[in-house]
Amino acid sequence: MKFFNTILSGLMGALLPFAAMANEAYEGDMNPADQWDRLWNTILLDITVIGVIFGVAAIWMMVKYRAKSPDDVGSLPKLTRAQTMAWIFIPCALFLADDLFLSAKGWSLWNVYRQVPEDALEIKVTSYQWYWEFDYGDGIVTEELTVPVGKPVVLRMTSEDVLHSFFIPEYRVKEDVMPGRVTYIWFQPKKAGTTVATCTEFCGTAHGNMYTDVIAVPPDDFTAWRVKAKAEAENES
Amino acid sequence: MTTDSSSGVHEHHWETSWSPFAVVIGIFFLVVLTFSAHYVYENTLLTIVCAGIGTPFLLAGIAKWVHEGLTEKPLISGVAGVGLPIFIISEVFIFLALFVTYWVMRLSAPEWPPEGTPHINTALPIIMTIILVSSSWTAHVAEEKAEANDLAGFRTWIWYTIILGTLFFGCTAYEYNHLLSEGFGPSTNAFSTIFYTITGFHASHVLIGLGAFFAVLIPAYKGMTNHTLTTCVSVYWHFVDVVWFFVLSQIYFW
Amino acid sequence: MSTETETFNWKEWVFTTDHKRIGVLYLIGSMAAFAVAGVMALLIRIEQSTLGPTIIEDGTTYNEWLYFHGAAMILAFLIPGLTGFAANYFLPLMIGAKDVAFPRINAFSIWLFYAAIVLALVSIVIPDSPDIMWTGYPPYSITTNANTAFYVFTVHLLGFSSILGAVNFLVTVIYMRAPGMGWNQLNIFVWTTVAAFAIQLVFIPVLAAAVTMLLFDKYLGTHFFDPAEGGDVLLYQNLFWFYSHPAVYVIFLPAVGILFEVVASMAKNRVFNYKACVYGGILGIVIITGEVWVHHLYVAGMPDWLRIGQMVTTLLISVPVGLIVLSLWGTLYKASITYNVAMLYAAACFFLVLVGGLTGIPLALTVVTVHLSETSFVHAHFHFIMALFAAFAMFSGIYYWFPKMTGRSADGKLAVFSFWSNVIGVNVTFWPLFIIGVEGMPRRYWDYEMFPHFEPYHQVATAGAFLIAIGMAGTMINWIIAARSGEKVGENPWKSKSLEWTHCPSPPGPGNFPEDVVVSEDWTPYDYNK
Ligand code: HEA
Ligand code: HEA
Ligand code: CUA
Ligand SMILES: [Cu+2]
Repeated sequence: MKFFNTILSGLMGALLPFAAMANEAYEGDMNPADQWDRLWNTILLDITVIGVIFGVAAIWMMVKYRAKSPDDVGSLPKLTRAQTMAWIFIPCALFLADDLFLSAKGWSLWNVYRQVPEDALEIKVTSYQWYWEFDYGDGIVTEELTVPVGKPVVLRMTSEDVLHSFFIPEYRVKEDVMPGRVTYIWFQPKKAGTTVATCTEFCGTAHGNMYTDVIAVPPDDFTAWRVKAKAEAENES
Repeated sequence: MTTDSSSGVHEHHWETSWSPFAVVIGIFFLVVLTFSAHYVYENTLLTIVCAGIGTPFLLAGIAKWVHEGLTEKPLISGVAGVGLPIFIISEVFIFLALFVTYWVMRLSAPEWPPEGTPHINTALPIIMTIILVSSSWTAHVAEEKAEANDLAGFRTWIWYTIILGTLFFGCTAYEYNHLLSEGFGPSTNAFSTIFYTITGFHASHVLIGLGAFFAVLIPAYKGMTNHTLTTCVSVYWHFVDVVWFFVLSQIYFW
Repeated sequence: MSTETETFNWKEWVFTTDHKRIGVLYLIGSMAAFAVAGVMALLIRIEQSTLGPTIIEDGTTYNEWLYFHGAAMILAFLIPGLTGFAANYFLPLMIGAKDVAFPRINAFSIWLFYAAIVLALVSIVIPDSPDIMWTGYPPYSITTNANTAFYVFTVHLLGFSSILGAVNFLVTVIYMRAPGMGWNQLNIFVWTTVAAFAIQLVFIPVLAAAVTMLLFDKYLGTHFFDPAEGGDVLLYQNLFWFYSHPAVYVIFLPAVGILFEVVASMAKNRVFNYKACVYGGILGIVIITGEVWVHHLYVAGMPDWLRIGQMVTTLLISVPVGLIVLSLWGTLYKASITYNVAMLYAAACFFLVLVGGLTGIPLALTVVTVHLSETSFVHAHFHFIMALFAAFAMFSGIYYWFPKMTGRSADGKLAVFSFWSNVIGVNVTFWPLFIIGVEGMPRRYWDYEMFPHFEPYHQVATAGAFLIAIGMAGTMINWIIAARSGEKVGENPWKSKSLEWTHCPSPPGPGNFPEDVVVSEDWTPYDYNK
């Protein structure tokens, strides 16, 4: 049983740094997408450590315990009652500890994702087969999304036909868009530039072609854009 | 190929039966292809052809299966009495899924019943309940007769059960007809959707139960019965009865 | 008892009620589904290998391929392969039974399965081929012009087949164990099969109800899923995943069970902490599996408390799975391992289950999945755990039991070559999908002009897929050749202690056992080292 004890203490040791990290609070003003990246790195480390421990153990045993002769049999001893219990409760406690650690981390970031800042700019999104419409509330309706840098933006989304899903990989946000319901996501563009928003719920033939630009511009440019867009909208009507 | 099971393990042939195969062909044509021909491709000729192929296969398969069930000695006897209740567990879950759907729709609706629902008579379902409960009782009596080896009594009480079951089914048909004539069809509103689905699903179970009674009744005229088989049919019928109480309380009286 | 001299009589196959022949029929049917769905996968990979249209002009054809690929691989290949073929052939042998409790119902199940396969194959060639993905979400599946009915009926037929299978096998294990065989003396594979069927029995009806409502909505005009008329769009997704999450354990559990058989026999070792594996691991999964379905709806607008609650339950699954993993790993400890092809596949599975299972962990975190959901990352996760781990476990079982089924061994150069082609191929195919998944590559895209920089990754994946194809074709050809002319090996070439090897000939004849099996109180299928 020595080897297994080694695994166990290895696992326990591996968990310690994670426990330490859990105490380290997220900076409140950090952009949610950056926080996501941080959580992602933590998880990646967590599962890599577990994977490597089990993987190495497997390779080691597969090599070490090759049969010496065809008639050899293995010699895994029967567990005593105490060993059985230990082999149930200690690993379960460790796995559970890791699960709860990850749940806690996930939950706290989730709260950030669901609490829309009060000063957020609200834009209505409507999806159709196969394009998006963004309604800024003052007569401006576009098919591309233009947003100001540094300001939180909340999208209130609904669909006119089938299911769609609004995904901006750059901002690490996604939520399904459905007929008869309004869903929301919020994000905070960090720097100016154009990125892509794309549909990630199967919606038919052109599902793979249903994307649009998300253009983040400095706040002043955004105000200027909005004035211009409004004038254009009034001209058209 | 019939088998003389008593010859033990040293027999040198493979057991076969064509009945399961025939029943599958029957179901495939009569349910799957007939539905598709009618509702998907809207082709009447094709519908008739598919139903025409399916029905004889289904009936022949069932007849043969029941016959084998009554004449051949099973590998291990009596376990059908356990198998059926296990199967009923899964039936319970399908009804549960339908009721959950109903609760979700009803509890999230702004008004219930939604617009377009006519008055639904509750006297008829009470009568139907009385009919169904009595039929459960007659089925039970039939089972007792069979146990006492009173074949004639068995047949009579099975007939009573079948008549009551048919009456129940007739009530459903009458009710549907009445509601449809008032313009309340499956597509009218959310309530009609769930109403026709749940009552219809229950009615289809009544039909299957009736079919099962015929399947044990006909061989009984040739003097063949089997204790396990009759128990199964009657347990199934009691289950259909119990489900009805939920339909009654949830759909008609809530 | 040998069947060698028997002439082929088609009636004895088509009308058979024998569990072994039914098992073989399941194997043939599920492998056929695998081959066709595998060819679809190749077409998918070819289409994605270049930006813009490659071999087709618009998305619909791609969607039809992908529909068939997903539906057939899960519903017609893995579930019937594991709970149909493996359970049918070996479970009665392992418990010392002459057949299952209801042989005719068993025959009924197999032909329902074939009816479903025929329907699925027909649905490829009809003009209005389904394009609704294996998940069939409304409203699209209702508004599309394609034939949703065939999808629904395929699910009905397979579901009915599985439910009857569940009834059959539960009764068989309860009543037909050899005299003297207690619950703690069952093979792990028997336990996993019982667990898988218990899951099927309870959860399939819910799926059946869901797809029936789909059928009614589309063809009878009802309003289950139409919010404008008081229906609920999300209802279908909830019912669907209430079954389809447990379905992944219907695949995972028997696959693990097969691995235990192979590993214990080839390592000549007892199973480490048997009771923890059975009562903690296997039953633990059965208990938790019904409370985690919302992890497929993390971005579907479900209430927050459900998304968070089921994040915790989903993560908790790693506890019972962890117990199973410990038992599996522990079985190698102080072992005496001989490597044959079966054991090679089993060895690969140790690593595939880690990659596939551990990548489920980030997906279980609601907030992480807000980014990862519906991307290639999910693909890579489930291909590793399901398409690779579970399928390789099944292949391992086929190699392991090949001498039992045919009296001949399928090991050989072609088998080993195909194995390496498969193992390398799957890694080349699916690791790039992890990478572009995290970068944002969405699922179900026939084209990805918005992400031109992913093209090289797709090309690597496509190359990998062809390596798998070579490996799979080699494997199948090898089986066909070996079944006719493989080396004859004795009744128990692996010197296993399990009943299917020790007490019956290879291949077993009608009635399985020349003499009735009785086991003693201290017998176990794994007693190599008393
Ligand atoms: C056989 C099939 C199979 C299996 C076994 C699993 C197992 C798991 N799956 Fe997977 N999954 C699928 C098949 C499967 N999955 C499929 C087909 C889909 C996509 C469906 C679709 O949308 O089309 C999917 C999608 C999917 C999603 C949804 C993603 C999305 O669409 O947004 C999620 C989210 O939680 C998830 C999680 C998990 C988890 C946590 C496990 C766990 O059971 C894994 C447990 C295993 C381990 C954890 C590794 C071994 C354990 C240890 C080494 C012990 C120590 C470990 C820890 C303490 C962490 N899966
Ligand atoms: C058990 C399940 C399983 C298996 C085994 C596979 C196997 C494979 N899958 Fe599959 N896949 C799914 C289940 C599975 N998949 C599911 C559920 C989906 C999601 C569907 C959805 O989104 O709805 C999916 C989606 C999916 C996609 C996503 C497409 C998209 O979203 O746009 C891709 C793309 O690369 C892919 C690729 C592959 C490849 C390359 C293989 C390869 O491993 C296949 C290799 C096999 C072969 C190449 C066949 C070999 C056989 C022969 C050549 C015949 C020889 C015959 C004789 C000699 C007689 N799969
Ligand atoms: Cu819109 Cu996919
Ligand atoms: Cu799941």
